[in-house]
Amino acid sequence: MRLRYFTFALLISLTLLASSSTTSAQALDISSGGQPTITGAVSGSVTGSSDVRNDLVVTINFGEVSPLNTNSIVKVVVPVAVRSNQPYQVAVSMSGLNNANPQAVQASDVGFGVQNMRVLGGAGKICTQSTHIIRSPFNNDPSSSVSVASDGRVAYSSSFANLSGSTIILSGPQLSKNNSSIRQQSDGYIFDAIFTLTPQFFATGISSATLLFTIAAGPNVPC
Amino acid sequence: MPRQSTKLIFKLSLFNMLLAISAVACLGQSTSGTVTMSATVSKFVEINSGGAVTLTGNSGGGVTTDGVANSPLAVSINLGELGPSNTNSFVTALVPLKLRSNASYVMSMSATVTSSGSTANRIGSADIGFGLGTITRSGVGVNTGTDTNATSGDPSLPANGSINGTTGRYEFTAVRSNLSAFSSSTTALSGPYIMNAVPRSNANGLTVPAYFAVKPQFFENGTTTISVTFTVTAP
Repeated sequence: MRLRYFTFALLISLTLLASSSTTSAQALDISSGGQPTITGAVSGSVTGSSDVRNDLVVTINFGEVSPLNTNSIVKVVVPVAVRSNQPYQVAVSMSGLNNANPQAVQASDVGFGVQNMRVLGGAGKICTQSTHIIRSPFNNDPSSSVSVASDGRVAYSSSFANLSGSTIILSGPQLSKNNSSIRQQSDGYIFDAIFTLTPQFFATGISSATLLFTIAAGPNVPC
Repeated sequence: MPRQSTKLIFKLSLFNMLLAISAVACLGQSTSGTVTMSATVSKFVEINSGGAVTLTGNSGGGVTTDGVANSPLAVSINLGELGPSNTNSFVTALVPLKLRSNASYVMSMSATVTSSGSTANRIGSADIGFGLGTITRSGVGVNTGTDTNATSGDPSLPANGSINGTTGRYEFTAVRSNLSAFSSSTTALSGPYIMNAVPRSNANGLTVPAYFAVKPQFFENGTTTISVTFTVTAP
């Protein structure tokens, strides 16, 4: 008799578990791709999770970017993991950088590029009929594309100034072999989001910005 | 159904619900993630040499340690003979300065003059003329602003000094035209921010010549040492 009660309870629990997994099951996922790194900073830091199963929540403090920082550039590399059972696209939107003083840090002063799209483990899907495309102009390492504009200010091949609303930076075919609704350590791809800021004679103050990375169904390309 | 069994089923169900929720929360997927960032820009000012020193009217002496543009200012000058055997009207040293900042700045100066003489005829701080010349803001990345020169310019100009009719001694009479006005740190120049948002590798900036002048006279014989310190701050 007791076994019957236990079985009954177990069935209820499994039903709940299945139902809860079904309601949260997603074909598209974005998460941390590993530990972010920072170089060239004075009093700067970056925090994020090294576990690819954790959400993408990264905080970057570029630190001092006046000429008090004598390094040539402050560079941050943020690995981002993506998973999907269908074609996908990754978009980025920016908010919060609204300095009225043109000599203060502007969107064009923060270099932003995407590099190193790579398979995350054995369950990452390798498609042969389509490639993963880093959208123009973001396919570069901004620390390698630094130039000086005619007004003397540093410029990059791509920067936050290239973000307009929700801007697609990456798209491609299916990313994951399996169709799990649960994040795993080896079932997708990782790319590096690279951010740079060159110390300059900026107007004094503290600047901040927030980037929102989103993944959604993308152009229907074959795998 | 016995009451104890009902309780057991209820507890098991609750426990498993918690497990299920926790599993979804830990390993569930998300279609978005955030990267927040911040950066700090503090006030920055610097003073460097604006180039080589020019020494004129000297008899003997010379520039011992010359200025090198964009290098720390550390100049040493031997003004040579300042007695009547030097027949030039003035011994003048022109020291180019270069200032850069991302905020409003104030350049102050302080000077000490020590002489081996023991009488009122020895060289004193009032005998050393001083002034800042034409201020130049030019080049890519330099902000166009208006600076305030608190000195009277080239001290050897006739408008800035004359012979005292009573004592016969030459005096630099204009406002802040000799080193006695700078016995303590005193503002010589101020203005708005100098540099636009350009990297430090940009070598441009504000340049201004600092003039030092002495009128050769029947000073008490001996040696005199003049030490001048320029300081730039962003108040």
